[in-house]
Amino acid sequence: MTAAAVSGTLLETPLTPSRLGWLRDRGMGASVLVATLAAAFGVFLVEVTVYIGAMLKADPEIGESGTLAVVVAILSVLLTGVAMYVAAIVTANTFATIVAGRTRRIALMRLIGASARSQRAEVARQGLVVGMIGAVLGFAAGIGVSAAGAVIGGAVLPHPPASFSLLQPGVVFPVAGVALTTWIAAWAGSRRVLVVTPLQALGGSADRSHEEVAARPGRHVGALILLVGGALLLAVGVVLGLANPLGVVVAFFGGVLSFTGLSIGATLVMPPVLRLVGRLFGSGPTARLAAENALRYPERSSRTAIGVVMGVTLVTMFAVAMESAKALLLRQTTGDDADIYFAPMDAFASVMMVLVAISAVIASVGLVNLLTIGVVQRRRELGLLRAIGLTGRQIRLMVLLEAVHITVAATITGLVLGVAYGWIAAQSLLGSLPVMPDFEPAGLVAPAVPWVPVAAIVAATAVLTLIASVTPTRLATRVAPVEALAAD
Amino acid sequence: MEITTSDLGLAARVQHLTKTYGAGEGAVRALDDVSVGIRRGQFTAIMGPSGSGKSTLMHIMAGLDAPTEGRAWIGDTEITGLGDVELTVLRRRRVGFIFQAFNLVPTLDALGNILLPFELDGRRPSAVERARIDGLIETLGLGKRLRHRPHQLSGGQQQRVAIARALATAPDLVFADEPTGNLDSATGREVLQLLAAASRDHGQSIAMVTHDAIAASHADRVLFLGDGRIQADHPRQSAEQIAAYMLAAEVAA
Repeated sequence: MTAAAVSGTLLETPLTPSRLGWLRDRGMGASVLVATLAAAFGVFLVEVTVYIGAMLKADPEIGESGTLAVVVAILSVLLTGVAMYVAAIVTANTFATIVAGRTRRIALMRLIGASARSQRAEVARQGLVVGMIGAVLGFAAGIGVSAAGAVIGGAVLPHPPASFSLLQPGVVFPVAGVALTTWIAAWAGSRRVLVVTPLQALGGSADRSHEEVAARPGRHVGALILLVGGALLLAVGVVLGLANPLGVVVAFFGGVLSFTGLSIGATLVMPPVLRLVGRLFGSGPTARLAAENALRYPERSSRTAIGVVMGVTLVTMFAVAMESAKALLLRQTTGDDADIYFAPMDAFASVMMVLVAISAVIASVGLVNLLTIGVVQRRRELGLLRAIGLTGRQIRLMVLLEAVHITVAATITGLVLGVAYGWIAAQSLLGSLPVMPDFEPAGLVAPAVPWVPVAAIVAATAVLTLIASVTPTRLATRVAPVEALAAD
Repeated sequence: MEITTSDLGLAARVQHLTKTYGAGEGAVRALDDVSVGIRRGQFTAIMGPSGSGKSTLMHIMAGLDAPTEGRAWIGDTEITGLGDVELTVLRRRRVGFIFQAFNLVPTLDALGNILLPFELDGRRPSAVERARIDGLIETLGLGKRLRHRPHQLSGGQQQRVAIARALATAPDLVFADEPTGNLDSATGREVLQLLAAASRDHGQSIAMVTHDAIAASHADRVLFLGDGRIQADHPRQSAEQIAAYMLAAEVAA
């Protein structure tokens, strides 16, 4: 029986798959999707930037002044960068889990004589292929969306650009960038290939129930330095901002540094938050199992969560910054034309929020991966739970709660950070603004939190969570209790 | 009125059980008209070579798989035709499982694993059950390990936790699937002695699937399966007798 089972698993994972057969492995499709989204987003932003530049030229009033075009270009680069960064994190995570799923096969190759380095190089090469496929698909999608946008723009805008070509050389950057970052992310995510031993092919090796997170103090120190340094710069920016609007520049770099520190140190910051949220779930068996599961691979969960944190933080930041700025500016005027005055600002904030939300969508693909791999890797455990008395409904609830756990922790973190960053942005930019009634500088003001966007963010993450957990919950309920008994 | 399972002194039984996998030419008959009962309070070993149908029989008896034809009872409850939720609740309350690969929930400590069937039922153990669990923990020597996670325990310790979990609810029947398959022989012998003691001292009904003659020699009764049928039904035997029977059956086949 045992021999039959072993040969069975080997047959399912052929040692010499067809050249691109590995693309059907679980997780590869999601990686392609992530790369596609990031590339399409980048291509679209390049096109928009060029289009707006051309449009401004066509506008008789704005004419040759290039300032606005430069601002749009900088924003495009920043937004593409954020999307690619989130995509790279998701991809690295996905490849780490793909490697975990392939441990047996890698061990067998090592047993036969393959070197760990060559095995890792193969995984990275697959990452490059995935990145290139995603880049090409994303290029096509981005061009398609841009073409549609240009047609709509031509019909709606008062001053459409006279000539606009979709063939912009700039699109090379996001396309090549996505292929490269996917490659690098796959390489980074395949680190665990190096610790697979040939012995693991010989069966009997019990699953390691807890990921042994290799202590990497260097990394944590770096993250802490970035966090502390960034926080200091943020504080300096606020203080400077009381006298001079240029405080926002200092604060900007503080924001970039501290946020980078946060994402590098995700494994430092997120587990306590996850633990706290897990405790809110109560003490029912399903909730407790779900809460423990989210912390089983703290590194994986934290990185998945940080992707969502980024999206939520940036959206919240724009909303809070705009609202706080509005509150400050309102104190400058007494007129009733405030609404007209603020309409372009509101429009700008909405557009930015929608654009930033793309990273949240990419992050939610990461959530799907996390949950799916979590289910696939513990089929036996799910079978066991079914055998000793967990109903299908309880299993479904458990997987859903795992998703909720991650997104609730990420949303709370993102909202807190976003309010802080947004307030600092407005404060450091407008703190020196003279306000009514006697035109003294505004000084410190409380952050203004616009509740409608915040409610929209919470609702959107709730919807993303539900969508992300559809496939994993279905997979989990399909596990038969008999699987717990199968000896492998 | 139909004769009930308990009238017969049985903890579980199956009647005219047939299980076929696939259809047409390639159909495989894993069980072929099997009728058998597991006696209450006894330690029964189910033996047979690979492909004899012993695992299929256990899966169906435990409510984990449905037969193609025939009926199955746990206690006086007929389980064929029950829905998934009813079967789940039945397993939770009235069946215990011990697996080859220990199969503890890795995120729960030893005590959490032992109490899991109660938690799934949404209740705390009663005073009587609590006393029973304390007794089990003492007998199995787990007192100092209760706060350890499975990965901090040896294989033998993990299997003891699994035994405690299986016996904690005083189920009608405990199924053990090659419980010593992953243990060294000394640890395996201890586990088998614990199972035999649970049956002898507390009247626990146990059905153990194994292909190990030494493991089966600890049982009160040995059922031999071959080609989807019960080939023999022997009272307690020595490991040599069991091995000799198995060898003869293999050679004859």
